[in-house]
Parts: sequence; structure tokens; C-alpha cells
Amino acid sequence: MRAAAVLVPFVLVLAAVGRAEERPPVETQLLCLDYPGFPDAHSSWGSIGYSTRYDKVYVGVTNHRDRIGLYEYDVPSRGLRLLGFVAEMAGLRTHEWQGKIHSYLVEGPDGNIYFSTDGGEDRQEQLMDHPHGYGGGFFMRWEPATSKLTRLGKGLPFDSIKNIAVDEVTGLLYGISYPQAHLLVYDLLRSDVADLGRLTSGYVPRVLFTDWWGNAYYVDWRQRLVKYERETEHLAFARDPLPSFDGTPGLFVMSGITAVARDREAGIIYVMTYGSRLFAFRPAQRGIGTVEDLGPIYEGSRPRWDYWCRNLARGKNGKLYYFVGGHGRYTEHGDKVLMMELEPRTRAKRHIASFEFDRLLDVPGSGVVDKQGTLYFAARRADPKALAAGDSGSSVPCLLMFNPERPWR
Amino acid sequence: MRRHAALFFVVAALAAATGRSERTTGFFAPAGSFAIEISLENSPYLRLPMGRSAVTSLAIVGDLAVGGTSAEPGKGPFLFAVSLSRRRLVSVLDLDAVVPGQRAIQSGFGRGPNGVIFAGTMPQREGEPGHLLRVTLSEAGVHATDLGCPVAGEGVFALTADAGRDTLYGITHPSGKFFSMSPSDGTRVYDSTAPDAAALATYRRFALEPGDYLSRRLALDREGRVYGSQPISKVFRFDPSTRTIEVLPGDLPAVWDRRVLGRVDSWALGPDGLLYGGNAGDGQLFRLDPASGRIVNLGKPIMMPRLKGLAFAHDGRLYGVAGGQPGYSHLFRYDPTEGFVDLGNPRFEMVGEDLPPGILWRGFQIATLEVSEDGGYVVMGDEEALSQLMVFPVR
Repeated sequence: MRAAAVLVPFVLVLAAVGRAEERPPVETQLLCLDYPGFPDAHSSWGSIGYSTRYDKVYVGVTNHRDRIGLYEYDVPSRGLRLLGFVAEMAGLRTHEWQGKIHSYLVEGPDGNIYFSTDGGEDRQEQLMDHPHGYGGGFFMRWEPATSKLTRLGKGLPFDSIKNIAVDEVTGLLYGISYPQAHLLVYDLLRSDVADLGRLTSGYVPRVLFTDWWGNAYYVDWRQRLVKYERETEHLAFARDPLPSFDGTPGLFVMSGITAVARDREAGIIYVMTYGSRLFAFRPAQRGIGTVEDLGPIYEGSRPRWDYWCRNLARGKNGKLYYFVGGHGRYTEHGDKVLMMELEPRTRAKRHIASFEFDRLLDVPGSGVVDKQGTLYFAARRADPKALAAGDSGSSVPCLLMFNPERPWR
Repeated sequence: MRRHAALFFVVAALAAATGRSERTTGFFAPAGSFAIEISLENSPYLRLPMGRSAVTSLAIVGDLAVGGTSAEPGKGPFLFAVSLSRRRLVSVLDLDAVVPGQRAIQSGFGRGPNGVIFAGTMPQREGEPGHLLRVTLSEAGVHATDLGCPVAGEGVFALTADAGRDTLYGITHPSGKFFSMSPSDGTRVYDSTAPDAAALATYRRFALEPGDYLSRRLALDREGRVYGSQPISKVFRFDPSTRTIEVLPGDLPAVWDRRVLGRVDSWALGPDGLLYGGNAGDGQLFRLDPASGRIVNLGKPIMMPRLKGLAFAHDGRLYGVAGGQPGYSHLFRYDPTEGFVDLGNPRFEMVGEDLPPGILWRGFQIATLEVSEDGGYVVMGDEEALSQLMVFPVR
């Protein structure tokens, strides 16, 4: 379906924050598309990615029960379409049900898109080999050239694969399992999955990421960076944690990193933590690398560690964009999600827009930017109709696009 | 207004749904519980490193929880001591400094006189010798003395000690022989507990290795007789007064056609003088009356196999840990009137230097369970790449 046919008017409630410099109004730079062909769609998560080879954005959308739609947004034609449902396309049998894609959709050096699947709901954890139990998450590969989805195998029995990352040099896949937080290294060429063991505590930090040498990064329960050094096949732990603000609860510390955004030219990966703090991480091919503290993501009336944000994207203008608020953690502006712009060199932050819940409720998927500099977010908005039609917790997932440089129309 | 109320409802429902998916409730986390951080890679504090911290042997001596670890292949194990009152790891001993070439201390500890404990080791490579260790504790920390190899070319898979007789008893790996060792009587080896050709052929058909079928623990009754399991799904008893081994008439409890999996995973001597055991194969709890030699199947506390730890606390109840890979450990308690109570998967707040409050450790894979000498605390050891010690009080 052509994007133009599903454009949803995206009315913004702009906060009276700062003067609009010499730039178009933010609302003209935003576009939000609903996903066609999936009436009981409930949500999308970190499940978004971009194919540089085919100039397409991919998103996993779920009913958070047993159906996952895989969507493709074709950037040149602005067309958003349902490619199909994962279970049907991958030939999953009934007992191999999957609840959602929580992982990123990452582009391998072969031009294919990789992701992993997740049980999604309570029954994944304790039912196990019960007839209603969850057998475990799959590594998956989508081949844009042939429109083929292939299951590449499981990680740990009964565990979801919460997130994945790809070594863009060799195609090695990394996965983090849920709930046991085992780091998995999947060598597709050798068809070998190595379990490197448990890395963290009673919460599974959601973000796993790679640098440009193919090294992978995660955090332990003290929020210390853990690096899998690809060439040496060795795990290295940072000596010190990523700093937290005074008073940050341990629950937030152990929740680790919530989002990353890359600046390849500058050699920086921007890292956001659950404790609402931003860092410029400069990875090194060997050793952990260096971390520069960029400060709080938001400064308001709440403690500095208490702002919910799990999304981050970097525009071609070098600025970072993110949405603050969600899951009961909102700013002094009340029940709104705030859009922020941050200039990393000066650390200056601007609140550039506010959204009521029926416009924007949560933005779990991010970090995607196309060749033209448009940023893509996997977002969701509250909708009483969706709640009435679906199960508890339903929302309306949508693909949110933002171009910091130019208006859409 | 109505629109806003509806949206609030939606948001609340979303928050609730998200909470469920992370299972923020329903864990076993009694008041006063805590998890002591004993392993941390690249640590500025005294800690065990990654891949060498699985707590496969555990004993409580006074205020100290003493652990013996198992390591990944190619790495060596540790002995360590944790002060329960200070909630801190206070001593570690790299076993490579005492007996090189060992991979695991998985035998369990046997208690000698005056706080001395004994353990056995498993070598890095099959065919090399495991050793017996005499472990003492002092202000200076954990100290171990190598007592040598009890059986040439064999590891020590399970061990117990009779302080009154000054004797150690063990099961060797891979053969499964039983041995006794004492200063007065030397080392005696008994072959009858090892699998015969028919048993080995059966195990081969089920792709079971010695580590899968040998008795993981040994126990003493009040008369100093020694109990363990032997192929297939049988219990043997060694009488030190006659130096004879008898095979008890009953079988370990089994699920039909899975009898081949039967072996003792854990033991606890009850206040009633009866022995309580866990069957690894299908996770049944059983009771053994030393007077009659009769085994009674008490049932399965949870659906999974394995029952790796059992101990009686001061409330007279039996506490245990069942399950494990490919699932997760559950704690349970048992008494004859109440039956089983599945306490669930534990998640305790971590304690350690510079740790902020609120970091929670979840015990997915628990290998060992013991109670403090006063029976007031249950102490459990993980077997993970990075393992911790989990403690909860018994009210």
C-alpha cells in the first residue's frame, strides 16, 4: 500500500519551548504511518532496521501473543507494506509460536536482514515444555532480494533472544537471551552457536550493539561495558561502570543501556542508559575504549535519573533526537511524551515537541537513519479502541519518521 | 475528560503488561534475603573470575560459607570463604597453587573434627588423577593441604567424611568405584559400585556419560554407614564395621522407562534419623529408612529433573532446590504434614562493595544448598559463568 494512502494526520501539541530558529515547524518534519493489514496489531518494540543496500526500512509488529507482521517501508516510493507474518513465512509449527520481535533488525554484510524472536508474555518463562509453553526464540534472516524468510535456529532452550547485533565485517551474529541473559555468538558459516554464559543479574538489559570492527558490547549488573572482542574471541569487562547520577536505584543501574546511535565518521557510538544519562563512547579495536559523559538526557523537576527514554537517533546534522517519557515515568509536563534535540558538541538540549498519549505513547525502536537523513522510530500510541479490541496493554503501533533537515510536504 | 480517563486506563494497562513481561513479581524473595557478590570479572574487589566460579561444593562452618568451584575446561577451580555476618567474600584460594591440573571441586564437602572439611577434585583431563583436600579456615583465610590421589587415574566425583572414624569415603570418576581412606586403614577400593558391561551398554544407548550417572553425593546414617547410588538406579550401603557393600532392595523412584537416569543428586539426614534424597533423573524426593533399607517415593516437587540440594532448617522442614538446565531452579520445602511447597525461583538483592541498593540477582541455576549451623539460614550457590551466593533466613 502506498504510504500516501495511509498517512495519518499527525497533529502536534508543540510546547512553548525555545524560539523556532531558522527551521521549519517540527510538525511538518514528522510523519506517522499506521501498519496496514494487521487489525489486531498491538505494538512494536526495538524491532526496526534499515537496509542500506535496498534503501528500505524493516519493522516487526506484533499482536503480542502469537502473530508477528514483518513490514517494509520502501524509501524511494514511500510505500509501506506487509511482507507477511513470520510464522507463515518461516514455516513455524504451532508449538514453535513466537510472541514478538524485540530485537533490532540488523543488516549483515551480505545485505540480508537479521533479527530474533521473543516469547513476549508470561507463558514464555515458566510453562516451558508444557503444551502451552514456549520453546525458545529463533535467529531469523530476511533476504530482500528473494523475499525469503529463513529460521536460522534457536539459542537456549525456552529462552527468548531479546536482541541481536551483527558483525558487519564477517557477519557473525550476537544474541542476548532472556531471561537468563546468556551471550550467544552465532557463526553462520560454521553453523555454530557458542554460549558464552550469563552476563548479568535479574534483569536483561535490552541493548546489545557492535562497533565497526565487529566487536560486540553489553553491560553487566554494575553497568560496566562488556566487550566480546571478535578477533581474540575474548570477553573483556570494563573496570568501571558507566556513571550513574547520585541516588540512581540499583534496579535502574542493572537495567543498563536503553538505546544507541552511531556516528561512524567521528568514531562515536552514543549510549543512553536506563538511568537517563547519555555518553559518547569511542570504541577501540582492542580494549574497551573511552567514555565521555554527555550528562542528563533531560533536566526537570524529577531526579535526573528518573526520565524514561529508550530511543536515540542521530541526524545528518550531527544532532541527537530522542523521546522522553513512558511506562509511568513522565516529566513535569505531565502525561506527555517529549521530543528532544541534543547537540553533542555543546551538550545543549532543546525540547522541540510534546505529544499527548493519543499521538505518542512510547518509542521503543530507534537508531535508524536512511541515506537522505530521515530518522525512523518504531512507536506506539494509546488507543481505547485498540484496548477494547485487543488484549490488555494494546496500543496502536506506528512508524514514525522525522527529517531534521526538511519538511515532508 | 472521558477521553483522558480512557487514555489513563490504557497507559495503566500498558504498564501492567510490561511489568508482567519482565516478571517483576512472584519471585521468592523473603524479608532478610540477600545475594553476596562473589564473582565479578576484572574486579577491583576480592572476587572470583568468570568461568571459574560455579559453586559445586558448599559447607557452612560457623560464620563462614565455604565453597569449592568448578571451572570451564582449561581453567582451574577455587576454594573460597564468605562471612555470612559481614555478607562478604573474605578469602579465595586458587587451587592451581595447591594442586595444579584440576578443573572442579564438585564432590561436596565431608566434615572432619574441629571445623576441618575435606573435598575431592576432578582433573582437567580424564586419566589424570584427582586429589583429596584437607581444608582449614583461619584468620589468614582458606588453606588446603593435598592428601594425594586416592585412586590412580581417577577423579573424585563424590566425597563424605566420618569424623568419628577419621575416614573419608568417595566415588571415583569415571569408573564409579567406591573407596575409603583413613590413616589407620589406608585406602581401600571397592569395584562393585561401578557399572558392569551390561550397565555400560545401557548407558551407551542413552548417550549417558559417567558424569550423568554416577552418584553425585554420599551420605552417612547415624551408625556411620555410607549411602550412595550405583547403576542402574540402585542404592548401595557400605558398612564400615564389616567393610561390606550391600545393594538395597528397592530402586530409586523412576518415571517409567527413564529408570536409566536414576542416581542420587543430594542427601540430607533428617532429625528423625531417616535419610532424604533427591533423584537427579526425574527430580523425585525419596526417603530411606536405614533400619529397613526401604525407599519411599515422596514425589516430585516440580516438573523438572534434578534435585541438587537438600537440608533441614531449624523449623524442622526440609528445604531443597530442584530443576535447572534447560529450565530454572525452584526452591521448595517439604514436611510430611504440609507436603511440598514450591517456593519458586529466588531473586534477592545483591550486596557487595560499591553496589547501589536495588540490584537483584536471580538464581536460575543453583547447584548447592546448605543451612547454617544453627539452621537459621539457607545458603545456596549458583553454577553460572558468573556465580553468586544466595542466602535467606528461615523464620
